[in-house]
Amino acid sequence: MKILIIEDEKGLRESIEEYFTEAGNICEIASDYDTALTKINLYRYDCILLDITLPGGNGINILKSLKDNGHSDGVLIISAKNSLDDRLEGLDLGADDYLVKPFHLSELKSRVTAIIRRKSYNGSNVLIFNEISIDLLAKEVKVRKRNVKLTPKEYALLLYFIANKGKVVSKNAIAEHLWGDGVDITDDFNFIYSHIKNIRKKLMEAGSKDYIQAAYGMGYKFTEQ
Amino acid sequence: MKLLARYNRVNLITTIVIMLVTGFAYYQAISSVLTRQKDKDLEDEEMEISEYVALNHSLPQTFETKHQQITFSEAKPNSIKRKFVDTVYFKKWDKHNPKRNKYHATGEYEPGLGLISSVTVAGKYYKVQIIQSKVETEDLLQVIFYITIGVIILLLVILFATNRLILNRLWKPFYGLMQELKVFNIADPATIPKINTSIDEFKDLNAVVTDMTAKAKTDYLALKTFTENASHELLTPIAVINSKLDTLIQTDNFSEWQSKLLSDLYSGVSRLNRLNQSLLLLVKIENRILQDQQLINLRELVEDIIAQFEEIFHDKELKLTYKLDEKAIYANRYLIEILLSNLITNAIRHNYVGGEIVINLTGGNFTIQNTGENAPLPGEKIFTRFHKSSGSEGSGLGLTISRQICENFNLVLNYRYSAPYHNFIITFPVQA
Repeated sequence: MKILIIEDEKGLRESIEEYFTEAGNICEIASDYDTALTKINLYRYDCILLDITLPGGNGINILKSLKDNGHSDGVLIISAKNSLDDRLEGLDLGADDYLVKPFHLSELKSRVTAIIRRKSYNGSNVLIFNEISIDLLAKEVKVRKRNVKLTPKEYALLLYFIANKGKVVSKNAIAEHLWGDGVDITDDFNFIYSHIKNIRKKLMEAGSKDYIQAAYGMGYKFTEQ
Repeated sequence: MKLLARYNRVNLITTIVIMLVTGFAYYQAISSVLTRQKDKDLEDEEMEISEYVALNHSLPQTFETKHQQITFSEAKPNSIKRKFVDTVYFKKWDKHNPKRNKYHATGEYEPGLGLISSVTVAGKYYKVQIIQSKVETEDLLQVIFYITIGVIILLLVILFATNRLILNRLWKPFYGLMQELKVFNIADPATIPKINTSIDEFKDLNAVVTDMTAKAKTDYLALKTFTENASHELLTPIAVINSKLDTLIQTDNFSEWQSKLLSDLYSGVSRLNRLNQSLLLLVKIENRILQDQQLINLRELVEDIIAQFEEIFHDKELKLTYKLDEKAIYANRYLIEILLSNLITNAIRHNYVGGEIVINLTGGNFTIQNTGENAPLPGEKIFTRFHKSSGSEGSGLGLTISRQICENFNLVLNYRYSAPYHNFIITFPVQA
């Protein structure tokens, strides 16, 4: 997939680029308004990560220009402004999602993956990873045709892992993804451990391989190796 | 004590004292003038007797007038010393006076003033006693006394009434201003209106109050803007740290020690972020930015949040019991969610493993009880910014935010300790 990262903050831009660059992905970057506008007029992307506050102009105008020209690139707004109005304006103008800074790269990846998946919808809403197949509409998980009964949180976690396959996902990122703001209840994430344990058990009992690895006590990695 | 009462008290006491003093002085002056007049009358009478005796060498015929009696009696020579005396005057009633029958007497005694003197007639020494009734003098004084008292009472009533009327009217602008100050809200853009008065002091007061509140508002706004800007500016560096950490853990081969350091870094950044978000949220709530209201079914919302925290209840082995009645309120859904999840989060965070949480929703209030430390929290203090129990991992803003949200929607948030439970109670406004 082809992704355009429009972000003026160098540190953040480089991290995103690095995280997204992998086999099969092409990342392009734009660090100011004019560059961004030029790029979206010349090329098409699967997903555009759009920062609202840019040197030289407002990111919202880039979104407008995109929609005015009838381009259907996926757009994910990344903004420091967590205001409902901005969010609504962005979504009203045709953005696909809105993510507030600061965020975990894994969260960004999972959102971008979801956008691209929706954009490239081709009649089937089934996500396949080796022997695991996930019906995204019915929210059903099957391993080699055998149903795996997951709780809503386990299901969300599995999708999150698959979107970030091959990456180490920190416990913090998992906790924030699953529990949102309520996560500051406890600082040790034991409850995540039991969650992961349950998913592994359920998948493996259904005949799947063990894809989830613990990574140095900091997080987990969903990987084929 | 009200100014009016105080003023009235001082005013009335001074008035009464002055009136009494003048009354007394008046009485004394008139009384002494009248007594002197009487004395002079008596002396005139004495002189007339002396002249009569000198001319006729006999005692004058004693006759009675209405207010004067003269008596002569023989006495030892030179035994009488001339003097004025207070005495009684026997007043005879005339034949038609009904009192004669009523009291079976021929007259009555009245206070009198007398002059005892002497006269020598044809070698005989006589004591002369001239007595005049004082009753008219006394009557006069009595009248004066009554008039004085009457004037005092009249004055008091009038003073009281006018003071009340005038003061109430005069102080009206003051009370108006007071009312404005009472409802003054620093976060509210409305300013103190100009009061309509012609009194300089109140005009000055109004001007001072207006200036002061305007300055307070500007300062407050500047502070708020600063907080908001600072928090916003912090977001980007936090985002960079976060993304760098996410990138860092993708690299391989960490020692256990390095992993531990990274985990701590993650928690630190995560707390920094939550704190910052809380500050931003607080500014937003205080600015009343999130004001769009809708009807919220509280029962469903509480159930949703409880479901959201299910794993965490489970993880901490908390025993949760709840009883939820149907209740809906008009408020901002996002804020009410934050409010409820803050309270539930607190109940979990400050609980011990195996503890208990009881949630109740009725038409009148929402109560959440939790076990925890066996001592009450310090009342109102817990709602202040950055008040934290020792060892708490929270931002110290949760309850401040919760209370602020409640205030925005006319809800009342209170804390009560009834062993072994800490109770947080949200009271809904009484529906009109």
